[in-house]
Amino acid sequence: MSGSPRFRFESAPDLPGADAASKYGFGAIRRVVNRLWDVSVEGVEHVPLDGPALITPNHLSFCDSVFVPASLPRRVWAIGKGEYMDDWKTKHLFPALGMIPVDRSGGDAAQVALDTAARVLDGGHLFMIYPEGTRSRSGNLHKGRTGAARLSIRCDAPIVPVGHIGTVDVQPPDQFVMKPRLPVTVRFGAPMRAEDHGDPSDPRVLRIFTDAVMFEIARLSEQRYVDTYAGKETEAAQAATTPTAPDRATGPATAPTRPAEADRSPLTPPARPAISVPAGR
Amino acid sequence: MENLAAIIQPHDADRLALIDGDATITYGDLRNRVDRLRARLADAGYGPHSRLAILAGNETAFVVGTLAALGLGAQVTPVRPTSPPPELIRKLAAVEPDVLLIGDAGRWAIDHADDIGPPLFDLQDLDTGPADGTTNGAGADGPPIVERDADDIAFLLLTSGVSSDSKVAMMSHGNLAWVQQAITEADEGLHADDIALGVLPFSHIFGLNVVLLATLRVGGTVVLQRRFDAELSLELIRAHGITTISGAPPMWQRWARADAPDDTLASVRNAASGAAALPAEVFERIRDRYGVEIAEGYGLTETSPVVTWSRGIQPRATSVGQPLAGVEVVLVESDGTPVEPGDTGEIVVRSPGVFKGYLDAPELTAAVLTDDGWFWTGDMGVFDDDGYLYLVDRMKDIIIVSGFNVYPAEVESVLMEHPDVTGAIAVATPHGETGETVAAHVAGRVTADELDAFVRARLSTYKCPTEYHFVDELPVAPTGKLIRRELRP
Repeated sequence: MSGSPRFRFESAPDLPGADAASKYGFGAIRRVVNRLWDVSVEGVEHVPLDGPALITPNHLSFCDSVFVPASLPRRVWAIGKGEYMDDWKTKHLFPALGMIPVDRSGGDAAQVALDTAARVLDGGHLFMIYPEGTRSRSGNLHKGRTGAARLSIRCDAPIVPVGHIGTVDVQPPDQFVMKPRLPVTVRFGAPMRAEDHGDPSDPRVLRIFTDAVMFEIARLSEQRYVDTYAGKETEAAQAATTPTAPDRATGPATAPTRPAEADRSPLTPPARPAISVPAGR
Repeated sequence: MENLAAIIQPHDADRLALIDGDATITYGDLRNRVDRLRARLADAGYGPHSRLAILAGNETAFVVGTLAALGLGAQVTPVRPTSPPPELIRKLAAVEPDVLLIGDAGRWAIDHADDIGPPLFDLQDLDTGPADGTTNGAGADGPPIVERDADDIAFLLLTSGVSSDSKVAMMSHGNLAWVQQAITEADEGLHADDIALGVLPFSHIFGLNVVLLATLRVGGTVVLQRRFDAELSLELIRAHGITTISGAPPMWQRWARADAPDDTLASVRNAASGAAALPAEVFERIRDRYGVEIAEGYGLTETSPVVTWSRGIQPRATSVGQPLAGVEVVLVESDGTPVEPGDTGEIVVRSPGVFKGYLDAPELTAAVLTDDGWFWTGDMGVFDDDGYLYLVDRMKDIIIVSGFNVYPAEVESVLMEHPDVTGAIAVATPHGETGETVAAHVAGRVTADELDAFVRARLSTYKCPTEYHFVDELPVAPTGKLIRRELRP
């Protein structure tokens, strides 16, 4: 691990993974990761050594959740599926890595996750969240979800953008085994704050700030950015070479042809959006 | 009776309907005049299958002409009387009216009669003096108001006065009536005691439906202001105890600075702004000076027009308020899935006010209106946690740099923060590597290097303009909207 300062194991008795087993478990993971893979870490000086910060990497492989925490100078917490705690393979490993299990079946799961993250940040710790929400199957960097920006504003914590390269070769999708001795690069960017992108109380700033973070991640990870959410459906639709809106494409002949125009598909009927905002009162 | 022409029928004959300069017109007078004109037009051969265009300002003739034409069961197209002749000719060609009614403000068209397709009908030729008594929609010997269904087309409205390729929106009697009722029945809605300032052009849906027709429906009074003049507006407000003002941002800007006593707006109960974004400093200045909070709203011709407004709720600066009761508003991704709460998406609207489509343009209609009634506005917006809507930008103005969306409004507002910049427009320009980049058109005494340093300290690199063009004046519509399309390469 080049350039990484000494690792500091923060004690956080109110968070999972505070026991001695986790402490030694996490130290072992760091050593094993550095021995088995050719990991180079860049920009680690951008990670604050004290106080809260959001760590926001791109997401390509299951093992991102190993390489990014192992590259940080401090412990980091993140939210994971509650189901991992039922599996013998993961129930000790994941809490050692800082995973906080959250049951995602409930209706208010998103709120619970946000509140959990806020608890970590308010305690002055690092919290890791993948802004794409899920792994990118296309290899591109997908549109960021606004949760990290929301947390950053709510908890007054900066966002540290992270781009990594090589993890998908170590562990391609749907494989449990991590192939050893491959190179992995993890790059940290300078901390970012919402107030540099507008008035944080203006709701428009959530998207503006999120996009600014994604731009930095794209720069660090050297990925192409696509303005659609990661997820099997959108990516499958994208894989099709023709836009999904034949009527739109042949439609307004007067409209200047811009890629954004062709991508838009109001004609695939918006299939009656499920949520509607009830009348304003 | 679904015909919009009938909205003036129920009110007492001696109630005041219009104040036009020194003239006052009661509902009784108004009904008489409308009945007589309807009879004249019927005699001239116009009826339910006719299309009548009207070139008039905010004057009595506009009101009489419009209600008479609607009463025939005809379709009506108001045209902005300040349109230059070529624009007028182009607009009329889009609608192909059978006749062009002209009021005072449209009299200039007489000199161009040979170039204008349809015959002209001068509303000044009418005997407009008040006649006896009241009528019930059937003039002494004239034809009664023609029955119409809610779905029958009342207006063919030219959308977006700034566009060179205007579309013609088909608006039904039911569309406009629904919005009139919704804004009447809302908390702090319109009522019969309201006196409205009629300064927004009646040729535009905002002035036509929200100011003129809605006020007439409730039996209120509209004070006509034929031409915008900030001091005159304020005099009218004081003289007539006006309770309701609807204005576009440039009007509010001028009222904020006008030479008038600070208690001028004491009688005002509802102050609204729409048609373009109201700058926060104008909101604050009006509030601090006159003690009135401007309720900003959002709408489009195609939605008759109110989608959101801030009446009956606490207005928030730069928010266009909350959806009008009965209007469904959803923010969606380009594939129609709703965005996550707090995220930006295209504003999609469904309500009984949503129009019937564009005239003779089924493919344009299909691109924005789905079978289940959702209208895709092409505007991007975001809701805050309390359900207030904030507009972000026009979708087609978004500049795409390396796949990232750049909202020109954000770039423009940063440029405007520079003390030496008086106006700014950001548009896309093609770029070999990134697809597009941002080109800035700026009015002000400043250099490109100064601006570049200023902007780089405030925006992500991909949003920073790569070209600066300096101009004396930027294209701005009368509503205050910047006309970006004129600057696109």
